[in-house]
Amino acid sequence: MTVKVEVVEGGVPHTKIMVAGIVASLVCLYLSYLNVLTNTEMFSFFGGLAVVSALIWGSHTIKVLCSYGIGTGVPSAGMISFGSGVIAMLLATKFGIVAPIAALIIGVVVGVILGYLSNEVLNMKIPAMIQSLTELAVVGAFTLMGFAVLMTGGFTFTSLTTGSITILGVALPSFQVTFIGGSLIATAFLLGALAVQHPFNACLGPGWTQDRMLMCAAECGFLSMFVAAIMSFALVPAGSAIISTIIGLIGWAYTYCKYMGLSKRDAASWLDAKPIPEVEGH
Amino acid sequence: MTAVAAKPAAGSALNPTAMVVGVVLLLIIIGACWQLAPGLAFMALIGIIVGGVLVGFGVHFVPVGGAPAAMGQAPGIATGVAMLAAGGGLAGLFGGAWAASQEGLVVSVVTGGVGGGLMMAITCMMVNFIYVYGMGIPAASGKIKVDPITGDTQTEYKSQGTEGHGLPFVSFVGGVIGGILGGAGGTIIYIMLLNLYKATLPTMMKATEAQILPIAISAAGIFAIGIFLVNAVLTAYNITGTIEGFHDPKFKRWPRAVVASAAASALCGFVAILIVTM
Repeated sequence: MTVKVEVVEGGVPHTKIMVAGIVASLVCLYLSYLNVLTNTEMFSFFGGLAVVSALIWGSHTIKVLCSYGIGTGVPSAGMISFGSGVIAMLLATKFGIVAPIAALIIGVVVGVILGYLSNEVLNMKIPAMIQSLTELAVVGAFTLMGFAVLMTGGFTFTSLTTGSITILGVALPSFQVTFIGGSLIATAFLLGALAVQHPFNACLGPGWTQDRMLMCAAECGFLSMFVAAIMSFALVPAGSAIISTIIGLIGWAYTYCKYMGLSKRDAASWLDAKPIPEVEGH
Repeated sequence: MTAVAAKPAAGSALNPTAMVVGVVLLLIIIGACWQLAPGLAFMALIGIIVGGVLVGFGVHFVPVGGAPAAMGQAPGIATGVAMLAAGGGLAGLFGGAWAASQEGLVVSVVTGGVGGGLMMAITCMMVNFIYVYGMGIPAASGKIKVDPITGDTQTEYKSQGTEGHGLPFVSFVGGVIGGILGGAGGTIIYIMLLNLYKATLPTMMKATEAQILPIAISAAGIFAIGIFLVNAVLTAYNITGTIEGFHDPKFKRWPRAVVASAAASALCGFVAILIVTM
């Protein structure tokens, strides 16, 4: 027997967040194609925005899944999300321009099978299991693809594996200074996996409110985007990386202030403690 | 019903229909791989399935305590299955990956196993230090009366109202076995994919083997981590919560995890192989 510990009361329904997450991520990933059309890498920051929208959706999916007592801790959901997502995303990059849609489809196929295995073979019997694991695989794939776009400016297999290094003014092709060859994908993997599981892990409990958790997810997303943007200095021109860094920083500062405000709203009472004063005569 | 009463739902019963579906799925994927890419890629898929099953089976040995263990109310290491498996298995995977650059398959897999086992042994020992000298609690199992390895009695040391506490010797041994199996499994997945990528990427990307080596290593590594984590979390779903080691009644659930791990590894490995064969 399964007991649902918490129910979503009020707030935005999950379906709406899911649809908004899919559409926003896909649109942002495709807007980065402006890089190819304009032959620059100025629009790489759209990858970061795709990361943020996918993470907001993913954190709410984790809330739906982990509201049932799955007994394994919230972080495990983030790990399986990116474990299955990285597999879907890397195959999807082979499909060229349709890569984001391919990531969606491959993620759904992988997620449904993993969901079936855990729900039926492992006898979890949780109603939301199959749908949640499916969504999480797509979230993982979209987030990693967004990081790839942010760091390299493209989402095709060639742009993730082929770069160039300049030695004495001569540009040489290099497979090492790339998203995959330089193992930046491993950093992106954990940046995303931590950001998708943290919001619900931090906000769960009887005082859970939807807007606070989603704001925390956006804050984690922008913080990850900022870190990834700094790493992108190695792969994209400095101008593009600076744009991504500034957008990430502004987004993080804004969402952090909003999140602090919401936390104070939801707290029973709070004291704006000052540093311990220096007392004379001791 | 309150959150405290809401126990994890998974029972210990087998679902025969689902098990058959899982096995059929496994055979379909193996057959598809045989049709699409016999030879090296097919061997890689078999290796990935073996590695995934080792990971899934090995995680059952690891004494996972979770939040109750942090409060001294259940035996085991005070964190979740996924975290422990990632710690032990990835430590082994790194050791094995290091050995893979200079040695053959057997030495690398053994190195991976030793790395994972060593990581779990250190973790278990430090956990017991903290339990005994930090929290002041003795090690006692709640599931058995006598330690099957040392023969020490357990019940006298178990506090009332708890499921046992600390890390008994049998759990320590289980943790080391789990680390060995997980590290070896992760290393097999990595080496199989690395050999496949080293053989196929040069023609696909029109470059020499030395040039594509960073791509092959990085892609094989990230796939190995991905497949490892999928297997670890699926096994965590099988255990649901805490397990003491191989003497725990929950250990008997392993057939389900083996079928699920085999099917999941086959699926993920097939996708990883499609990248170079498509």
